[in-house]
Amino acid sequence: MTTLLWLTLPYVAFTSFVVGHIWRYRHDQFGWTTRSSQSHEGRLLRLGSPLFHFGLLAVLGGHVLGIGVPASWTAAVGVSGEAYHLMSVSFGTLSGLATVAGLAILLYRRFTVTAVRKATTTTDKIMYLLLSTAILTGMLNTLGSNLIGGGYDYRATVSPWFRSLFTLSPQPELMVGIPLSFQIHALVVLVLLAGWPYTRLVHVFSAPVGYLVRPYVVYRTRDVAHPGSRRYARAWETAPPRR
Amino acid sequence: MVDTGDEGSSVGMDTDFADSLLRIGRHFQRGEASEDLRTLHQIGGRSADVFYRDRWAYDKVVRSTHGVNCTGSCSWKIYVKDGIITWEAQQTDYPSIGPDKPEYEPRGCPRGASFSWYTYSPARVRYPYVRGTLLELYREAKQRLKDPVLAWADVVDDPEKSRRYKASRGMGGFVRAEWWEATEIAAAAHVHTITRYGPDRVAGFSPIPAMSMVSHAAGARFISLIGGAMLSFYDWYADLPVASPQVFGDQTDVPESADWFDAGYLIMWGSNVPVTRTPDAHYMTEARYRGQKVVVVSPDYGDHTKFADEWLPARPGTDAALAMSMGHVILKEFFVDRQTPRFTDYVKRFTDLPFLVSLDKRGDAYVPGKFLTATDLGDTSEGAESKTVLLDGTTGEPVVPNGSLGHRFTRSGEGRWNLDLHSVDPLLTVLDSDLTAEIDFPRFDTAEPGVLRRGVPTRIVAGKLVTTVFDLLLAQYGVHRPGLPGSWPTGYDDTAQPYTPAWQEAITGVPAAAAERIGREFADNAERSGGRSMILMGAGTNHWFHSDQTYRSFLALTMLTGCQGVNGGGWAHYVGQEKCRPITGWSTLAFGLDWQRPPRQMQGTIYWYLATDQWRYDPFTADVMASPLAKGRFAGRTAADNIALATRLGWMPSYPTFNRNPLDLADEAQRLGKDAAEHVVDGLTTGHLRFACEDPDAPENFPRCLTVWRANLLGSSAKGNEYFLRHLLGTDSTLRASDRDGVRPVEVTWRDEAPVGKLDLLMSLDFRMTSTTLFSDIVLPAATWYEKHDLSSTDMHPYVHAFSPAISPQWETKTDFEAFHRLARGFSWMAEKHLGVRRDIVAVPLQHDTADATAQPGGRVLDWKAGECEPIPGKTMPRIVVVERDYPAIGEKMAALGPMVERVGLTTKGVTTHPDAEVDYLRAVNGAIVAGRAAGRPSLAKDTHACEAVLALSGTTNGRLATEGFRALERRTGTKLADLAAENEGKRITFADTQARPVSVITSPEWSGSETGGRRYSPFTINTERLKPWHTLTGRQHFYLDHDWMSELGEQLPIFRPPLDMTALFGEPNVGAVDGLDGHRSITVRYLTPHSKWSIHSTYQDNLHMLTLSRGGQAIWMSDVDAAKIGVKDNEWIEAINRNGVVVARAIVSHRIPEGTVFMYHAQERTVGVPRTEKTGKRGGIHNALTRLMIKPTHLIGGYAQQSFAMNYHGPTGNQRDEVTTIRRRSQEVIY
Repeated sequence: MTTLLWLTLPYVAFTSFVVGHIWRYRHDQFGWTTRSSQSHEGRLLRLGSPLFHFGLLAVLGGHVLGIGVPASWTAAVGVSGEAYHLMSVSFGTLSGLATVAGLAILLYRRFTVTAVRKATTTTDKIMYLLLSTAILTGMLNTLGSNLIGGGYDYRATVSPWFRSLFTLSPQPELMVGIPLSFQIHALVVLVLLAGWPYTRLVHVFSAPVGYLVRPYVVYRTRDVAHPGSRRYARAWETAPPRR
Repeated sequence: MVDTGDEGSSVGMDTDFADSLLRIGRHFQRGEASEDLRTLHQIGGRSADVFYRDRWAYDKVVRSTHGVNCTGSCSWKIYVKDGIITWEAQQTDYPSIGPDKPEYEPRGCPRGASFSWYTYSPARVRYPYVRGTLLELYREAKQRLKDPVLAWADVVDDPEKSRRYKASRGMGGFVRAEWWEATEIAAAAHVHTITRYGPDRVAGFSPIPAMSMVSHAAGARFISLIGGAMLSFYDWYADLPVASPQVFGDQTDVPESADWFDAGYLIMWGSNVPVTRTPDAHYMTEARYRGQKVVVVSPDYGDHTKFADEWLPARPGTDAALAMSMGHVILKEFFVDRQTPRFTDYVKRFTDLPFLVSLDKRGDAYVPGKFLTATDLGDTSEGAESKTVLLDGTTGEPVVPNGSLGHRFTRSGEGRWNLDLHSVDPLLTVLDSDLTAEIDFPRFDTAEPGVLRRGVPTRIVAGKLVTTVFDLLLAQYGVHRPGLPGSWPTGYDDTAQPYTPAWQEAITGVPAAAAERIGREFADNAERSGGRSMILMGAGTNHWFHSDQTYRSFLALTMLTGCQGVNGGGWAHYVGQEKCRPITGWSTLAFGLDWQRPPRQMQGTIYWYLATDQWRYDPFTADVMASPLAKGRFAGRTAADNIALATRLGWMPSYPTFNRNPLDLADEAQRLGKDAAEHVVDGLTTGHLRFACEDPDAPENFPRCLTVWRANLLGSSAKGNEYFLRHLLGTDSTLRASDRDGVRPVEVTWRDEAPVGKLDLLMSLDFRMTSTTLFSDIVLPAATWYEKHDLSSTDMHPYVHAFSPAISPQWETKTDFEAFHRLARGFSWMAEKHLGVRRDIVAVPLQHDTADATAQPGGRVLDWKAGECEPIPGKTMPRIVVVERDYPAIGEKMAALGPMVERVGLTTKGVTTHPDAEVDYLRAVNGAIVAGRAAGRPSLAKDTHACEAVLALSGTTNGRLATEGFRALERRTGTKLADLAAENEGKRITFADTQARPVSVITSPEWSGSETGGRRYSPFTINTERLKPWHTLTGRQHFYLDHDWMSELGEQLPIFRPPLDMTALFGEPNVGAVDGLDGHRSITVRYLTPHSKWSIHSTYQDNLHMLTLSRGGQAIWMSDVDAAKIGVKDNEWIEAINRNGVVVARAIVSHRIPEGTVFMYHAQERTVGVPRTEKTGKRGGIHNALTRLMIKPTHLIGGYAQQSFAMNYHGPTGNQRDEVTTIRRRSQEVIY
């Protein structure tokens, strides 16, 4: 069971994540979209969307720091365990609350505004369920374990386990016996990652960040290097000389 | 951004921050940013273009059009890619209509643009289908009997078997069949029916040839060659304005849409141009920029109303009252108070107003009688009884002018059938005489019909008391002249006396002042513009029981003001794509006139009225409609009795004809060595033989085989839909009326048990599943308009153009042409064994545009059966003709042009041409048949051959024939005509021409207007300009009709008759009555079925695009006031109920609908959202579930001048507008 949950599942999820994105990109570029519902409703979206998205970016940053960076490294640069904890709890709580508030607004909007509801697919609903569970269990971990329950040092268990998956020396046994809410959080996120490429979440990879630094108007000259890009040759046209 | 002149800040973006971001960006992206940082230039990266380039790429564009009874007849580009139709777009290369006028295009409406949806839609019929029950029975029988015909007989002759498959009609259960098997069953059914019952038990229904001539002709040719009856549709649709034959002696001839632009004054009266004539509505709006005044008369605030300068919201069905009051104003102000030279001159030369009518004594007064004829003057020469008389204004002597019917078919009339009055100036009124007489006129505006007594001046001519039609007309309209006795209106404000503006206000709701002013303006414009006042009319005013009277009151306005036969003036009646311009070629092919004549052509309304047993449900006799001055001819007689009379007097056709198989009857005559006509007359007089219509419920008189193609009979035109389902088809219906009570016919046999399921075979050919295919026994999959060759023309444009296949017929679909040729080959093969060559006795009614029209002079009804005259075929009864039917040769005859074309010639509207050169031409271009019974004849084996033949044999598309026709006509009229076509004598329009672009047609005697020199088409211009008579009794346009039955209904002159009182006739609740029905509040309302914006003419209702734009399912429009009375909110489910059936629909509550009236748009398919009713628990009906047929006796008139039969020219209309229904809210939970 340990192997299945903390070894097989992660690799299956990662494989699905990577292969799924490649497959989706090759076969469904026109479906590669957020399926924005802005045209249906704007007022709630204007509030909920930034709260959610920027909150989530911060949460993601926290995860990189908390799970990606070994405790020894932070200690090495002089951040004490208490300071890290304080920082993690305060920023984590703040960004977590923003995310949860944003999510609440967006979910309220999605299921009460008729036009938006009608534009919601079954896939969307499953995705929302997973995403909400992931965020809520994560919030529970931050608030419940750390703030109320006196703290749990996931940097000793979850983080090394996670990193071990990438060094190809997996240590599933690290996850045995950790608090249930951390286990659930990790599992839900894994399932979410596995399903990611098949949902609208693919838009993460096409966020128009480049627009910040790109001129408004783009002219594209035809690719002179590849005259064969025309699908059909002009009738009666002689073949281009071979090089 | 403002250029500040400072180099540093003028380039770049709005803020320094944005600038710096962009500057940073330069290091991260490929390509070269411009100096001002606004643009980025990259090379390559355009691979995404391919998708879009591919999306709008196509392999070919094919020109075609839509065959959907749309007057638009627009030409379309059909785009095809990889063998798939991708989209369609409007063509723009129509013939120019010359300078100073807007062109035809832009044209083509969103409905047309949505057609390609059908090609691959779920509604598409892809395979032949046969109902499983029938197929099993047939297969079992065939296996046993080894013969298709015997197998069919085995199934239909077994009462239990036939009940089983008939009762399952409309219940689904279709299974796929192979083409060979489906056509085998159909062919076997036809062979069996002909053998057992006779060919006249076979019928075909396919309307509107102009919408795809060759597809129509293919099936009609098969039906006609085997001796089946083709059913009329124009009158059946109630689209035929019976006033047109009555007044003009012409089926319908109207201006093209571009001629609206020529009008100075336009009244839209019953035609919602932007909705139903969408692609042509631009002429109406453009004309307004030219200063045209537009008036709309319409009960609802329709789309056309917003284009109008004035809106006269007359109550539904009261239009004649308004028109009569306008006529009153025009007669008073332009004829009596002041003489208007143009009007007076016009009515003297081109109308019957100066003609003399004798007056008959009735009680202490007189009633108008018959036209005075040359016979009355003592003339005994040929045709004298059909030559009418007028008075010479100079001498005061009676004159028999040229041009009347008596000159049309007689030898002595050659060269004299024209409107040339020479030196005679007709006397319009005999007012200068001292003699007056008091005339009784009926009035129908009161609860009980009343009598108006008004005086006219009179003269004694040839010992008879006479007056002119004009004098009668003034009295009828209530226009007083000093010295005349009787009761007259005191002025326009007289509310009691018909037909003043104030009188009509109470009836129509239109203010008296408005009626008076519009009437005056209409005439004033006509006077000043030389007749350019136009009334654009249509189904809104034409689908009523008494619409012939409504239309006569409209036409009176156009005739009095000299607008008919003038560009920009007169009537403009549009209902569908009724004008098949190459009419001669089409009719030759369609009715097999190249092989044998006459064909059986049946009047549709009579056929359905008897076949569906609606005649059993009339609780009244025909005299309820009679004039208070009637002689009682209709007393105790039902409509069925009148039909029986009209049949035996040769007025109307009647197929099935006799209670015997006409093939057997012919054999019997031959055996007895008797002439067929003699044998029939003997049989009828001795009672051994009866007309089938005298016992419609006897099994031997049932119609047996019906083929429907290019039509949606049960979803569109079947008035009394539930009667069809019960009696004709034998399946479930929501019919609620009972035939237990009510009156019984006197001549027609009554059988206490009404038959159900009369029809043995209903076969339909369609490309989509319709309300008709659902009930058919066999459904054959048809090619769409983008999958076949064909021809299209319309009354709204003088051009012809082609259908061409953009793709081949998909799945197992086939063109109608191919399907009927297959059927014919299968039929012929079986006929070898079962039929062989037979002789067939055909009873032909007295025909319009032939000498038959002089058969019963004076319109005196003489019944040979009552001993009032001798039974003489072709005179007092139908002509009896023997036609040889070579049944095994049908397939070969179908595929070749027969020899009668050049041997006998082709006759259209009395003009005969001899297309010998054309036959040689067709032999050359189509090829000749090599062997068999048709060896050496031009081929018609392919649809393109048929297209070529239609064009080559018609004057409109072949200048040589047009010129020849005019020359033939010249010999009769003695006036110059041939020059009208001479400019095009060498022009021949080929099928390839019509495929290249729409081609303008040639002026031809087939029609009454002229396109010569690029002129815009307006009807009757040849009559007014070349003095060619109208095809009427006097040769002029008729105000007065003197047939016995016309006076019986009190309709000799235009008159107002209100909508039928359904409370009095059928016991329906009063209009407006709020009551309780099944525990809900209910309201009774007028029930109108007009045409919608999202379907009909140009597409069908089940088109997904149109369903999306509209409510998407059966809906009834109600006024907000009525809806509030019964607590119905918009979009709620309601049930509409009357004795005819039950309809479930959603309510559309709109203030545009007037109180007391609902609209249920025509032809909403039962394939889309038709749930079960609460009333019956069964599936509800469609729009026609609430309607039924009623026969107006005067529409049955025949054998007399313009009131003679021709197919789609004259006959009872299938009107339905007078109906009422009771509406209530129902449970909002609906079950399908």
